[in-house]
Amino acid sequence: MRRNSRFSLFANRRAWLASAIALSLVVASGLGSLLLQARDNPPDRVPSYVSWTPETIATASAGDAFRGMLLAKRCDHCHGAEGFSPSAATPNLAGMDTLAVFKQLEDFRTHKRLSRAMNPIAESLAPRDVADVAAYYAKVPVYADPQDNRAFPQSKPEHGHEAVALHLISFGDGERGIPPCQACHGPVAYRPGVPSLATQNADYVLTQLQAFANGSRANDINEPMRTIAALLTEDERHALAEYYGSGLGSASTTTSK
Amino acid sequence: MNWRKLRTFLLTALVLCLIPATRYYQIDVPLAGFLRGTQIDPLALHLAGEFVESNLGTEQDADGSVTVRMIAEQYLFIPHCIVVPAGVPVHLRVTSADAVHSLAINETNYKVEVLPGSIAEAQLEFPQPGEYAMPCREFCGAGHYAMRSRMQVVARDQFPALRTGERGNCAAQ
Repeated sequence: MRRNSRFSLFANRRAWLASAIALSLVVASGLGSLLLQARDNPPDRVPSYVSWTPETIATASAGDAFRGMLLAKRCDHCHGAEGFSPSAATPNLAGMDTLAVFKQLEDFRTHKRLSRAMNPIAESLAPRDVADVAAYYAKVPVYADPQDNRAFPQSKPEHGHEAVALHLISFGDGERGIPPCQACHGPVAYRPGVPSLATQNADYVLTQLQAFANGSRANDINEPMRTIAALLTEDERHALAEYYGSGLGSASTTTSK
Repeated sequence: MNWRKLRTFLLTALVLCLIPATRYYQIDVPLAGFLRGTQIDPLALHLAGEFVESNLGTEQDADGSVTVRMIAEQYLFIPHCIVVPAGVPVHLRVTSADAVHSLAINETNYKVEVLPGSIAEAQLEFPQPGEYAMPCREFCGAGHYAMRSRMQVVARDQFPALRTGERGNCAAQ
């Protein structure tokens, strides 16, 4: 009996009490140092919680397009029944890259990109729904059956703007360190999560370039778009938006994926 | 000492001698990177650690020198413009988020190979104020030839006094 109590922690009340006090001291000091650290260093600003690991790409690419089509009925009112918006201020989603839709919905859900309309919608989607909607929009053909109520394409760029935009899209500006748009936004090359702009609306491209330039949109990983948009002049931002919005950017691309 | 012990000893010595050599030739050996503490996940730079966006740029060290942290990515160096004081040791720490890049500073002998997965380190010093172009000198993709940022070297008394935890760059100008 006595032998038992010596070796059992629960039976020996003093040992139990001492270990509990020691444990609580360790926990309290750990918490205290954590709190002090948090007060000393402000938290790091994270642009987006998405990181293009193979697991993320697998999750984003595993969507069911048919289920996505049913879910996307909610999107029709603003983004159009065939992925082309009735308003030029709202983005066209037809043929949009899977990873691009996935990333923007994730950023809307985690409030890394702010929008009064999209934040509550993205919050209501389950992780599986996000991948499904992304899979659906990637399959929507870009040019099939044009409707009357789409805003795209808009009128041709102003005089002189077309040449400015074409030069920036094809060559960028080596002196200022502006890379060409087509090296990431297609058709020359793409990077994970980067949208194609060939059939994007002018007003939307312009508002996003301005938002990147003034920092009100800041969900680009490692700040490429904030840097480039700030290097462009206001006139160049207008020229690029008009060029893409008029459908000139899609002339050299194939019709659908 | 028998032959087996000698052989083990020689092999160990050879491997240990190769580790400093990896630094000279800038070979990315996992063990060497682990020992130097210069390994980093290129896909998660923005989430936490040394290269989060609030930590990029020029940092004033306690001994008067400065530390510059940059990310090389397709097709930009971030921050796009760096300001450092003249006549002061500059510790450059660069890492890549995607491909192999090479950060060259025109009109100087400095050129730093930047590999994804490891932090490239270099010790620089600029005796005179001036402005230098920093192009990428390793083909990294379709926009490589437009990948170019700037290094602004200002006189020591014109360098803005940075508070602890504050980072400087001239991208806004």
